[in-house]
Amino acid sequence: MLEKFRETQFYKSIFRGGGVPKSRRQRMMVVLNSVFLHLHPVRLPKHAVKLKFTWCMGGLSFFIFLILTISGILLMFYYRPTIEYAYTDIIDLAEQVPFGIMREVHRWGAHAMVITVWLHMFRVFMTGSYKPPREFNWAVGVILLLLTLLLSFTGYLLPWDQLAIWAITVGSNMARATPFFGHEGPGAALLAIGDINFITMGSDARFALIGGRFMGEAALLRFYVLHCIGLPFIIMIFMAVHFWRIRKDGGISTPV
Amino acid sequence: MTDLEIKKSATKDPGRRPPAALGKADSVDQITRRSFFSWLSIGWLAFIAATGGFFTMMLRFFFPNVLFEPVQTFRAGFPEDYTIGEVDLRWKDKYGVWIVRNEEGIYALSTTCTHLGCTPNWLISEQKFKCPCHGSGFFKTGINFEGPAPRPLERYKIILADDGQVIVDKTKKFQQEKGQWGDPEAFMKV
Amino acid sequence: MESFKHIIDTISNPTILFTSTLIIFFFIFPINDWFDKWNRRLKLYVLWSKKSMLLAAILMAAFFLFGLTDPDFRSIVLKPDNVPISGLIFLVYFFTWLSMHQAYENDARLERGESIDERYEAPNDKVLVWPDLVYIEFISLILCSAFLLVWSIGLQAPIEEPANPTESPNPAKAPWYFLGLQEMLVYFDPWMAGVVLPSLIIVGLIAIPYIDNEPAGSGYYSFKNRKLSIALFMFGWLVLWDMLIIVGTVLRGPNWNFFGPFEYWDIHKLEALTNINLSEFIYIKWMNTGLPNNILLREIWGIFLLLGYFLILPPLLARTMCKKIYERLGSFKYSIFIVLILIALTLPIKMYLRWMFNMKYIISIPEYFFNF
Repeated sequence: MLEKFRETQFYKSIFRGGGVPKSRRQRMMVVLNSVFLHLHPVRLPKHAVKLKFTWCMGGLSFFIFLILTISGILLMFYYRPTIEYAYTDIIDLAEQVPFGIMREVHRWGAHAMVITVWLHMFRVFMTGSYKPPREFNWAVGVILLLLTLLLSFTGYLLPWDQLAIWAITVGSNMARATPFFGHEGPGAALLAIGDINFITMGSDARFALIGGRFMGEAALLRFYVLHCIGLPFIIMIFMAVHFWRIRKDGGISTPV
Repeated sequence: MTDLEIKKSATKDPGRRPPAALGKADSVDQITRRSFFSWLSIGWLAFIAATGGFFTMMLRFFFPNVLFEPVQTFRAGFPEDYTIGEVDLRWKDKYGVWIVRNEEGIYALSTTCTHLGCTPNWLISEQKFKCPCHGSGFFKTGINFEGPAPRPLERYKIILADDGQVIVDKTKKFQQEKGQWGDPEAFMKV
Repeated sequence: MESFKHIIDTISNPTILFTSTLIIFFFIFPINDWFDKWNRRLKLYVLWSKKSMLLAAILMAAFFLFGLTDPDFRSIVLKPDNVPISGLIFLVYFFTWLSMHQAYENDARLERGESIDERYEAPNDKVLVWPDLVYIEFISLILCSAFLLVWSIGLQAPIEEPANPTESPNPAKAPWYFLGLQEMLVYFDPWMAGVVLPSLIIVGLIAIPYIDNEPAGSGYYSFKNRKLSIALFMFGWLVLWDMLIIVGTVLRGPNWNFFGPFEYWDIHKLEALTNINLSEFIYIKWMNTGLPNNILLREIWGIFLLLGYFLILPPLLARTMCKKIYERLGSFKYSIFIVLILIALTLPIKMYLRWMFNMKYIISIPEYFFNF
């Protein structure tokens, strides 16, 4: 039955080559023909498939990112980023929505992704895989780590509970003290003509971050947009470069 | 913008050429090697200016002209409403202000910790403001004496209105380390 | 039992904890040949054997289980947002062990002239992605999803009271992965701890491959040829990052005071925190003259100290301790390297100054929001 289905025009149009890949040639063609598997090279050094060597942390980071994207999109169906509704929407998500563990999947997934990204960086360091010719990809990876932390941080505000607002208050108040661009940072007073200060509470780095002089509606909306669209968009670009450069820099690192 | 105008007018009028091309301009009308490069650099400059302008506008986009935030000035009743020697907590939740009266007058303290913006608590038994986030402590005057807070609490402008009520204006603040507490608006004599 | 808890609480005191870590650390991860000699003499490398891993894992698990009988310890560890940190402690230990275990194994094999697992002869030693890699990925994805699902069903995500901008919780903590930063905020002014140092962490990480660009030791776990870079990275990652996160989570309580892991979080615990600046030390305590009005005169000592630290120390080190590094890197890369290291070292230095002398800022110019 299955064999017959594999012979149909319909099946063949989707999976070129047909049948379970058995010969060496067929197995190579599977990878070459699939847009998803094509992230991989066709063949690898044997240590590159050993868990003992790779720890699989980079792959897991990407996979958890996908889980977070999907669960995040699901959460967006119920969540409204306003002070009036944000908190109650979060409560409702757990209590009124069937299969109400999406917020848990999203939150614990976010924690897990931070850990897997750290461990991935740790593995790359310990195997010396940042060395030439992979310097640039290491830098891209550092940016990806930063973006992961920022994504996690912006998401922290959205439940609009005590935990959220004070963590973000403390976090965003650091921006007050940005040298030159924060109104309580060193050098801000230099950016003034006479008595007119250009960097004030209404025009500094913190203001750009939370959209107001006080934590409120605008901050919630800005963090929401950054969390759902802005940062994911940027991180996907960097991820694409990261994966591309792994291949272009000679695949997984091997001893010289 | 201006670069673009120059470019446009320059193509119409051969007399107005960029300085680098002027030398050969009179006799040769077609594009020479040298004039090509100067056109190229003008083009690039225009491109950079336009891109820079665009990004400046995009940055400016994040700073709206009107803020929908609570009113920053409020009437805080009559001076007689406040007991001498006490920290008054009635405006803390609504406006984020402590009003303190001593023998000489009244001042309005901001409830924002100067370290990272948490809200300290007034501990009446220990006669100090104590911040729960990183343990900064302030005296009743607002002077910092313990923990990581780098400077004293800020004071707001406080004046007496014509009808005898106290007006607190949070848009104007006074910082002790800049010597601004001596300002007549920072402290209302009663 | 109580006395054991008491001992743990006592050694959790930051000064003791940090000092002992600092002393032991570079013997475990020898930074140069001298430390390496002692590492071999004391046989510290047995830490990376399989038996040690088992033993340590059992000890850590036992400590956790024992701790869970204590209500104060339990309330910290079982807080939903702290669960990842408990996981992190085990994971970081395990993977540190795994990498060091393989590194020592590879070093030993190379020393004996044998081949290592990662060595391969192209193209004979290559394997096909389908099926060799694809099925490993498939299995790990399934395990990961199952793990996340179980975690999500078993543990509810935390939600506290609705936000109230006028009532700070006590203590107010950042998300756990930023607790290292929050710990720095106690010792540095926000412009340093919140802006400059985090940026420098990013810059420093990016700079690693440009400073340590020797091809040796690339592509396999090794330690022998990379002592300096691994020891420094481990110091930053294990001590200045992970350890500060754990300190921030477990040991910081109400009013941001230090508490032992088995100590009750008493809101009224009093600690003398009256901190003073270097200028006050010099003018008020030692010279008894009172602070001068001129800002520059007041802070000149701190400025001198800082200039000396960043301008005189690097060339001095280049002639003495870091001579080999200087010769290998050249003056440009050496300056970047040494300045990054010196800045990273200001953190432990300032921590000690705070704990021992209640020192707040070395340079303190609040008039211009400049404190260091």
